Amino acid sequence: MVLAAYLVAIVTFGVWAGRGNRRMDDFFLAGRQMRWWAVGLSVMATQISAITFVSTTGQAFTDGMRFLVFYFGLPFAMVVLCLTVVPFFYRAGVTTAYQYLERRFDSGTRTLTALLFLMSRGLAVGVTLYAPSLVLSTLLGWSEAATILLMGGTTIAYVFHGGNKSVIWTDVVQMALIWFGVLLCLGMAWSGLPAGLGLRDALAVAQAAGRLDIVNPSPSLTAPYTLWGGLLGGFFLMLSYFGCDQSQVQRYLSSRSLAESRLSLLFNAFLKVPMQFLILFTGVLVFVFYHFEKPPLLWNRVELAKLETRAAGPELEAVRARFERAHAAREQAARAYVGNRTGEARTAYVATGLELDAARQDARSLIERVNGGKRYNDTNYIFLTYVLGHLPKGLVGLVVAVIFAAAMSTLSGEFNSLATATMIDFVKRFAPATGSEARDLLLSRLFTAFWGGFACLVALQAGRLGSAIEVVNRLGSLFYGSILGVFALAILTPKATARGAFWGLLAGMTAVGLVSWLTPIHFLWYNLVGAATVFAVGLGISVLGQDGRV
Amino acid sequence: MDLDDEERVPVFGSWPRIYGAVAISALLVMALVVLFSRFPY
Repeated sequence: MVLAAYLVAIVTFGVWAGRGNRRMDDFFLAGRQMRWWAVGLSVMATQISAITFVSTTGQAFTDGMRFLVFYFGLPFAMVVLCLTVVPFFYRAGVTTAYQYLERRFDSGTRTLTALLFLMSRGLAVGVTLYAPSLVLSTLLGWSEAATILLMGGTTIAYVFHGGNKSVIWTDVVQMALIWFGVLLCLGMAWSGLPAGLGLRDALAVAQAAGRLDIVNPSPSLTAPYTLWGGLLGGFFLMLSYFGCDQSQVQRYLSSRSLAESRLSLLFNAFLKVPMQFLILFTGVLVFVFYHFEKPPLLWNRVELAKLETRAAGPELEAVRARFERAHAAREQAARAYVGNRTGEARTAYVATGLELDAARQDARSLIERVNGGKRYNDTNYIFLTYVLGHLPKGLVGLVVAVIFAAAMSTLSGEFNSLATATMIDFVKRFAPATGSEARDLLLSRLFTAFWGGFACLVALQAGRLGSAIEVVNRLGSLFYGSILGVFALAILTPKATARGAFWGLLAGMTAVGLVSWLTPIHFLWYNLVGAATVFAVGLGISVLGQDGRV
Repeated sequence: MDLDDEERVPVFGSWPRIYGAVAISALLVMALVVLFSRFPY
């Protein structure tokens, strides 16, 4: 009921908010009349996808809050973008980021970067749609295809009609709903702690279990989410995402002035880290909650049912008995540690936690064997299992609506930006005289529907692709840093030439490909490698070329 | 479209001051995160 009401309301509101588009510029840039706070919320909503919401809480549960450092570079990236890219784009009067590259270099560099964007973003948007649909359909017992089509179809409906105006205004509503959902879940997780266990006690338990370890100052390039990886790698990733990805650039180019474009990004610089902190903290409270409430053996209920029907009885019983013993021992040890915070009590508690992890690993190994060796990971199912099992029915509907809102706010921006790049960087570029404003507007709408349909198609096939999802995500991270390098060449170096930019871009992608293939370096660093290689090679070729040596 | 960005500074008086405020608040948030993480509960 709550979800149905949300879907009807958001489509109606989206269609209403997007009325009055007469030209392509209205459709793609909302007539460049949006206020900074609306654009700022839209920028934030586009970045937060449903899987961020569901997966981040699960990650905090299993691994702690260290994922937060991923966002540490964001505020500094926003400042750099406000000083460099934003005024350049704004003053150039471009609709897509890639148009600027043709003005600065040549059509080849523009076409190549726009093509990279369409390829990587077009496939990634399918995954953005598939991942939450999979989790929701598994936990709610819905058909996967129906969930994909419901989420994708309703988003297409309002973006097709209202373009960027609909995207931004629905993002504002969806972002408000997401904030409400985050605070609600945090409040529910807090109030769900057993009587007599205060917040400070819960934090002590989480800290002893290592769930509050956030800042790791290790200089290792292979360790995940170190402070330096977050600050430097995250800085370059955010520079690339917010500065060169059309799904974000298009949002802030819709502002009514350059000052408002800048404010919309700075708004994110202030709010992003606190918001991610609250989402992760919710996962930590759910982790503490399940010390005093029995968790399922596996979080994915479909896989659990499979385990119960297919695994050998005695073996499953042994795994279950070990798990239940370990959980009871951890509960007792946690209570003892809360009552008396001594070193011994802490050590005993940590040992019971390790035993529970080992017992859960037994269950994981068992389901992997049942599935013929297929890797099992149920991190994304933890939070929704908690919501379904422990929240009142009306609130469950609300949380599911929040997850839909998070997914739709990302999809809408991406459908719109993919249609924009297709129309501006390819159709208008190679067939500029397509016809009247009305025909351009119709074509823009049709491309929105095309990319929405394409995303649904990719999502419907994603289950069969299996590990291809990982490949798609990896491919995306291969491009980001290199694209940033091209923009850095364009903006920071007057000496850079078209030839330097083109070959620099190819060199950057090759370098990142080799690093990801041959070394265990964590993916956050790829962005730095790509950007630095493109910049160095591009500048080198440009300077040598001007001297007549290349 | 208003291109005169230097004229319109909504808070803190100038853009460099706003950027400074963002950087300082980011460092402050990081310091609070470290405090939160290591506080002896």
